[in-house]
Amino acid sequence: MAVADFIISLLTFIAIYSLFGIGLNLKFGFTGLIDFGHVAYFMIGAYVTVVLTMPAGAAGYSGIGGFALPELFGVLGPIGSLFGWLLGVLGGMIAAALVSLAVGVPTLRLREDYLAITALGIATILTTVVNDEEWLFNGPFGINTVHAPLRDVFPLSLGSFTLNMAVFGILSLAAFGLTGYWLARAFRRQGRRGKLVLGVLVPLVAVWYFVLPTLSDGMVELTRNTLWLFDPTAGPKGGMDYDRFVLLLSVAALGGGYWLVERTINSPYGRVLRAIREDEDVPRALGKETFQYKLQALMLGSALAGAAGALWAINIGFIAPDQFAATITFYAFTAVIVGGTANNKGVILGTAFFWGIRNGTRFIDVPSQYSIQLAASRLMLIGVVLILILYYRPEGLLGEQDYDIPLPSRDSSGGTDDV
Amino acid sequence: MVSAGLLDATVQGLITGAVIAGGALGLSLIYDIAEVPNFAHGDMITIGAYLALVFNNPGEIPFLPDFGSVPFVLAAIIGVVLAGVLGAVYELAIFRKFRDNDADLITMVIVSLGLALVLRNAVLFLVGSKNIQYQTPRVITTNFDFLVTQTGLTVITTQRQAGELVTTGEWGYPWWLIVAGILAAVAVGYAVFALYREEEDFTTVSLIPPKILGAAGSIGTVLLLGVFARLDPQGTDYILGTQIGLNVKHITILAVVIVAMFILNVILKTTKLGRAMRATADNMALAEVRGVDADRVQLVVWVVAAMLAALAGILTGWFATNLTPNMGFALLLPIFAAVILGGISSPYGAVAGALIIGLSMDVGVYLIPGSSTYRVAIAFVILIGVLLVKPEGIWGDV
Repeated sequence: MAVADFIISLLTFIAIYSLFGIGLNLKFGFTGLIDFGHVAYFMIGAYVTVVLTMPAGAAGYSGIGGFALPELFGVLGPIGSLFGWLLGVLGGMIAAALVSLAVGVPTLRLREDYLAITALGIATILTTVVNDEEWLFNGPFGINTVHAPLRDVFPLSLGSFTLNMAVFGILSLAAFGLTGYWLARAFRRQGRRGKLVLGVLVPLVAVWYFVLPTLSDGMVELTRNTLWLFDPTAGPKGGMDYDRFVLLLSVAALGGGYWLVERTINSPYGRVLRAIREDEDVPRALGKETFQYKLQALMLGSALAGAAGALWAINIGFIAPDQFAATITFYAFTAVIVGGTANNKGVILGTAFFWGIRNGTRFIDVPSQYSIQLAASRLMLIGVVLILILYYRPEGLLGEQDYDIPLPSRDSSGGTDDV
Repeated sequence: MVSAGLLDATVQGLITGAVIAGGALGLSLIYDIAEVPNFAHGDMITIGAYLALVFNNPGEIPFLPDFGSVPFVLAAIIGVVLAGVLGAVYELAIFRKFRDNDADLITMVIVSLGLALVLRNAVLFLVGSKNIQYQTPRVITTNFDFLVTQTGLTVITTQRQAGELVTTGEWGYPWWLIVAGILAAVAVGYAVFALYREEEDFTTVSLIPPKILGAAGSIGTVLLLGVFARLDPQGTDYILGTQIGLNVKHITILAVVIVAMFILNVILKTTKLGRAMRATADNMALAEVRGVDADRVQLVVWVVAAMLAALAGILTGWFATNLTPNMGFALLLPIFAAVILGGISSPYGAVAGALIIGLSMDVGVYLIPGSSTYRVAIAFVILIGVLLVKPEGIWGDV
């Protein structure tokens, strides 16, 4: 497998889990709600989207639906089919938001720690229900007829091999250029320690990605890794294959979610959310209905988790209840805290850090009878990292982000909410 | 031959409640005094159960030499003591440091979650995920058939011996004895209550509240009469019949949990340390002003809670005849439900909550057919219902 393919699958993972984590960050980081049941909305989004978009009477499926939305709009061509799928995702997001509304109304009036335990309990119950009620979503057997949007269009080819290579190659190079510009800007803004970390890490990754494959496999590998969007083996003339499209789709969704949450928390509305996190009595004294704000933050965060679930279903191509264990929530909490609570860039960084380590350790060769030990030691490491970060750097790697409208702080110099 | 019914489900629920109470007592102490909503409590239960396994059945643990088995009771005691040592480690290595940093409640939740991940996966790492049993003597269950007939109550006991169902006893109580027994129980209960009742003001701390003493007197009377006033069977032509399966496990678990509760009660109410614990729970800053060593109190709380958790784990592992790395996490949700239901500031409320949760889980599963996988769900429905009506829990303050 080319390095590019591994990176593409890893980046898709990171994009989907970042979207999931950004939803959690809106609840936990900005509003201060400990939702230990976040994975439930991931599951609901995945299941509802899949059921809304899959054809009716699929083989080996005995649950509700499917409702075949893409086929319904498929008469309008591929765009109509894509629209049908987007409607399905919207349905999944709405379902997730509605369930979180039902969970939030009784629990959000309680103390913050009661929310944590009731949310964990309700998420566990929901997973049990999906697992045990076969009439609902096929129970433990899961669903393997996941509708993949625009599957027929790919591999995307523009005509000839040269044209494909030129267009997708230029786009690939543009993506590298953007990343480079972005890294350089981040490098300039960092302090000395940040500069050191970036200055060591970026060349290391670049050597691993560009130089090492070239040394072992020659120029073909270098071309494949550089022009990563172009897959010469996809179809007779080469082109862009479906995995790369899923990556682009996930990154686009992450971008949309990021923009949405940034706009939300930088608005006066978001300032109320942050004020609730700091001290709920203050916004309430100013006449804000804090309960409604908390409920809305919960619903928006859950809807984002639902969208992440829809992407997860496409990426894996099969969903089953055991993919949505409570540990997924705890992973997301770890990623948010490691990257920087209440920092959306930090969530992406933390998620990349977490899944990079978790999937990177797959390459460690252990005899198969010790695979349980490897998995267990990985989770132990995560627990230890969580405790150490909370003790030595409770603000995470990046710390809390800057806002357009900061809360009034003691020195009134603006900037973050850290007071 | 009659089938098991509501009464049997109630007995099962009582046992479940007793095991939950063991965990809930410790959790409510940690929650109230150390102010940590301890998500690692379930895994502390698992650790306790496996610590006893190390001594009772070391051959099942891959990294240990098979040095022979220690009797179960001794292994349980060693396990509980070692778990207490580990409890001190959690406090000294982790939670004291965060408390010194003035960590807020949210941070404590996440820290305990990290500890939970470490503990559970340590068990998985060292033992693996297979089901393991303690080496214990085989337990024979006695079925009590209760038959209500025209003339009174008939009790038939049966046991399964070598595959055959053998009747081991048959006796009965005529109606007059039952009525007399109920009257006697009420009389004894009220007499005990009246004897110990006293004028109460806010400084009154009774070791055992007179109401509970009275109830205990009533239950004791019924049991004594039931054992010693066994008369002839009243026929087997029953109007109503039900069966209860009992064995030595049920009785041991109830007895052990009641004794543990009583010891904790004595510590909290009669010793200087217990008073310091209650004062710290009430207001840590004020307690420190009055010379209470808060660090010492917290250390004791973690040790006691870890020991109670280990006890609950060992009893669960013995009762369910298997140990898995997830056994504690499965108990965590009912335990939290019990503690919150009882109102977190009261260990007595936690016990009451545990009994309610245990009973509702087992009786609910009996009453609603096909709901056996929803035991925890039933507990949560009860919890959310109570919280909506009474957010401070059923018991209120100590």
